[in-house]
Amino acid sequence: MPVSATSASPLAVHVRAVTKTFGTGEAAVPALKGVDFNARQGELLMIVGPSGCGKTTLLSVIAGTLNFDGGEIDVFGSPLHQMKPRAITEFRKRNVGFIFQQFNLIPTLSCIENVSVPLLINGASRREAEQKAETLLKQLGLPGRGRERPTNLSGGQQQRVAIARALVHEPRLVICDEPTSALDKDTGGHIMELLRDVARHPDRSVIVVTHDNRIFKYADRLTEMEDGRVQRVHGQGGNHDLSE
Amino acid sequence: MLLGDRAKYVMLVGGLTFATMLMTQQSAVFFGILKWTTSHLSNMRAKLWIVDRNVQQANELKALRDTDVNRVRSVTGVAWAMPIYVTIQSAKLADGNFKPIMLVGLDNTTLVGRPPVMLQGRLEDVRLPNSIILDDLGVQRLSVGRAKPLGLGDTFELNDKEARIVGICRADRHFFGYPYAYSTYTQALQFAPKQRKMLSLVLAEPAPGWTPERAAKQIEIETGMKAYTEDELFWSTIWWYFRNTGIPVAFISIIVLGFIVGTTISGQTFYAFVHENLRHLGALKAMGASNALLARMLLVQSLTVGFIGYGIGVLLVTAFGHAVLGRGEPPFMLPWQLPAATFAIVMGICCFSALLGIRKVWKVEPAVVFRG
Repeated sequence: MPVSATSASPLAVHVRAVTKTFGTGEAAVPALKGVDFNARQGELLMIVGPSGCGKTTLLSVIAGTLNFDGGEIDVFGSPLHQMKPRAITEFRKRNVGFIFQQFNLIPTLSCIENVSVPLLINGASRREAEQKAETLLKQLGLPGRGRERPTNLSGGQQQRVAIARALVHEPRLVICDEPTSALDKDTGGHIMELLRDVARHPDRSVIVVTHDNRIFKYADRLTEMEDGRVQRVHGQGGNHDLSE
Repeated sequence: MLLGDRAKYVMLVGGLTFATMLMTQQSAVFFGILKWTTSHLSNMRAKLWIVDRNVQQANELKALRDTDVNRVRSVTGVAWAMPIYVTIQSAKLADGNFKPIMLVGLDNTTLVGRPPVMLQGRLEDVRLPNSIILDDLGVQRLSVGRAKPLGLGDTFELNDKEARIVGICRADRHFFGYPYAYSTYTQALQFAPKQRKMLSLVLAEPAPGWTPERAAKQIEIETGMKAYTEDELFWSTIWWYFRNTGIPVAFISIIVLGFIVGTTISGQTFYAFVHENLRHLGALKAMGASNALLARMLLVQSLTVGFIGYGIGVLLVTAFGHAVLGRGEPPFMLPWQLPAATFAIVMGICCFSALLGIRKVWKVEPAVVFRG
C-alpha cells in the first residue's frame, strides 16, 4: 500500500556522530566528521552537497559497504556498529538494494540474469529467481526485453533493469548513487518517479546521493552536507531551494 | 561472466588447448622414443638377461664367449639359458641400395626370443636353410625397387648370402629405426661376418622357487657376468638415455615450455578478466556475495575453461596419435597416466589462475562501486 513518510514515521536509518578518516598520519583525510542523520520509513531522502563533502562515504557506511571509525548506525533496528563483517554482509544481502551511477549491470549476462543475481545470492533457485526477475521487469515497463543483454538497451532502460535488480529481493533499504547522472532530463525524471513510487512503502526507505538539482523535487527531504558534516535538512514539500 | 566475454574465453581455451597439446603430444613422442630404446626387451622377452659385466643398456651389447651360455646354465637357480646373437647387417635392395636390419639369431631348438606376433608363415620354418622371419617394417623397407612387396618365399641378399622369407611378424620398432629379422642362431652366424666372439647375450629363466632378482644375483656371483631382470634392464636402459643423451632435456624443455605458456596465458588472461570486471565483482560483493561465493564462482569459471581447453587439446593429440601410429613414426605412446597427469597440471594451472583473481577480489572493498 503506497504511503508517504511523515515526521511520525518510524526511523529506518539512524546515524549518530559517525566519523570516517581515509589514510593515516599526515596523509589522513577526514571524510565524515561526526555525522548525525536520520531517514524514515516510507521516505525518499536525498543527500546533496558539493564534491568531496562526504556524501558517498556516508552512503557507503549506511549501506554497510565501508567500515567507519566512530559513532553508531542503526538500519531498521540492526546496529551496524556492533556487527561483525560477516553479519554485515549477511544483513546487506537481505536488506539492502543498490542502484549505481553507471548501472553496474554485468554486460555478459542477460537482463533477467542480472536481475536474478540478488535472489541467487540469497539462495533462491535459478528458475524461481528468473521468474521473479521477469515479472518485475514487466512491471517496470520492460516486457519482452529480459533475454537481451543490457548493452542493447538505452540508458533509461538499463537503469530500469538496475532498479529491478535493486528491488527483486524486496530489500528494506534502497541505496542510490547518482541514479540520474548518466541520463537525460526526461529519462531521469521517469526514473525518479519510479524511485518515489518504490519509496512509498511502509517498510522501506530510499536514500539517494545526487548532484543533479533537476531531481531535488522528487525528494521527501534533502540532507545537505558540507565538509564531512550535515549542514541542513530541508523538510517535506517537494520544493527545495538550496540557493541560500 | 567469463563465457560471455568471447575474446577472453577464446584466448583462455586456446591457451589451455595449446598447453595441453604441447605437454601431452611431446610427452607421448618422448615416451614413444623411450619405448623404442627398449624394443629388444619387448621383441625377445625373457625374465633374465645375461650380458657382459660392462653393459648398461639393451642397445649396447658387448660380445660374450660361446662357452658363457653353459656357465649360466650351470648356475643354481637357473631353469634354462639360451644364446642370442644380435647384430646389425646390411640387406641389399632390388634397386642396388642397402638398408640396415637388426638380425636376431634364436636358439635353434627352443627358438627362445622368438618374435612376439607372427603375421604370416610358421615360426618353425625359420629352422629351414637360409630362412628369415622379417617384421612388417622390414617388408616395407626392403620392398623398395620391387614391383610388389616382399612376401613369403621371396628372397633378398643379406651380406652376399641369399635370405628367404619364411614368415612375417610384428615387432616393436627399434630406437635406430632398423627393422627386425629373426633367424636361428647358427644361421645368423652364417649371415654375419665371422668374429672372434659372436654370442651377444643369454636369455634365461629362473628355476622354480627362485625369483628373477635372486637368480640374477646368483648368476652374477657364480659367473662374474651382468645379469638383469627384465624390469632392471628396462629401467637401466631408460636411465642410460636420460644420462647420456640430450633427448630427455630437449623434450622436457618443450614440455616445461608448454606448462609455462599455459600458465602465463591463462594466468594473465584470467587476471585481466578479473581486473576488468572488478567493478561488477565489487557490485556483487556490495549486494551481499561473500568472498567464498565469489571465489567459488571464479574457480568454477576457470575450471570450466580448463575442462574445455584440456578436452580439445587431448582430442587433437589423440587424432595426431591415431595418424602417426598408422604410419609407424614418429614414435608415439599415450598411456592413460599421461593424459591424467596433463589433466592434473591443466587443472592446477586453472586453480592458480583463479587464485590470482580470487586474491584480487578478496581485497576489493564493496564500496569500490560507489567511486566514480
